[in-house]
Amino acid sequence: MSRVADLLFANRVWKSVFRHGYPSNPRNRAEVMFQNVFLHIQSVKVFKRSLKVSATFGLGLILAYLFLLLTLTGFLLMFYYVPEVHRAYADMKDLEFAVSFGVVLRNMHRWAAHAMVLFTFLHMARVFFTGAYKAPREFNWVIGIILLIITLFLSLSGYLLPWDQLAYWAITIVSNLIRTTPPADIMGAGASYLVLGGTQIGQNTLIRFYVMHVFGLPAICGLLMVVHFWRIRKDGGLARPDESNIPLR
Amino acid sequence: MAEKQIDNMKSYGLMNLVKGKTPAIQKDPYEMVMSWPHLLFREVVLFLIVLTVIMGMSILFNAPLEEMADPKNTPNPAKAPWYFLGLQEALSWGPPVLGGIVFPTLLAVLLLAVPYLDRTRDGIGVWFHPKRRTVNILFAMGLTFWFGLIIVGTFLRGPSWDFYWFWEAWPVH
Repeated sequence: MSRVADLLFANRVWKSVFRHGYPSNPRNRAEVMFQNVFLHIQSVKVFKRSLKVSATFGLGLILAYLFLLLTLTGFLLMFYYVPEVHRAYADMKDLEFAVSFGVVLRNMHRWAAHAMVLFTFLHMARVFFTGAYKAPREFNWVIGIILLIITLFLSLSGYLLPWDQLAYWAITIVSNLIRTTPPADIMGAGASYLVLGGTQIGQNTLIRFYVMHVFGLPAICGLLMVVHFWRIRKDGGLARPDESNIPLR
Repeated sequence: MAEKQIDNMKSYGLMNLVKGKTPAIQKDPYEMVMSWPHLLFREVVLFLIVLTVIMGMSILFNAPLEEMADPKNTPNPAKAPWYFLGLQEALSWGPPVLGGIVFPTLLAVLLLAVPYLDRTRDGIGVWFHPKRRTVNILFAMGLTFWFGLIIVGTFLRGPSWDFYWFWEAWPVH
């Protein structure tokens, strides 16, 4: 057995990728975390109480996973969907009836998107009810609220893409809402023109929403998520009760 | 060969004895565990749960898809996505600019300012700490109000944004 392991893990190729042995001792377990670009954003050790389900219910992590699932399913959907007013709706029908597992793909994207909006609120409530926004975590709360707003806009921008009645009229309501921004003649009209790419919803609107949905907003969201995660570590991990005894500055 | 030799060489020795307390041996003062495997294992399990639930839902329930967009055919009622239905509901209460622009802007500013308004050190990392009762009740009321508006907008508003109870049928037109 150990011979097979040696053959697999003790060769030059393996060692050029992973510069440590199997993480069965504390040293290698530490190396795993800081030699890996994806893992090193997390600390080598964690507080036992942070691992309890009741500490956070994993809400933030669930959000990160939903974002990942949405990115993957969205990437696949982009192969089948063309943001053109005469074609978009037909592409939705094709996804439902012609593409293998197309309907499951679209369903996953839709339900994960709704779940992401819902869990953002739940995550915010968890942070509030555990007093986890207090110093030194104030700024991470601010990033979180910005992420909440971006999540809403991400979901909204995707809402128009199917180009069905539901999509068209929902965006009509939102654009009428933007139009009331005071002063309505200048700001409202201007903002609405900017969002719609015209005075009414049409091809310009669809391409604007599409580009924001598949690139603009996810890019900002991903960037802020990295800062959000990084700040968790820099601010000392999850909030702990003993921090209440440490006075502010 | 050279490596082996270093391995076999003893690089330490007893130099001196000092009087004092012994350090805590085999006891972690901070109650910490290694992230590998304790944290990573849980993260993988949670990912599998999220994936299973989303896939399960997607196999069981189809995402809505209505008829093709038709600018000449306005549905009654026309509704925004559910997370904006609270705003749409607030919109129907008074001047649109109040419900649609002023109300959400104030809400966002208030949320952003939370950590700078509440600067106490009470109840960090504790669910519903008794010392935080007032702020927790305020926040819970805010959440209830927000989701209350969403529920009214989603389920209790029919044609022309008229109010209908869950059990009341919408008029046929």
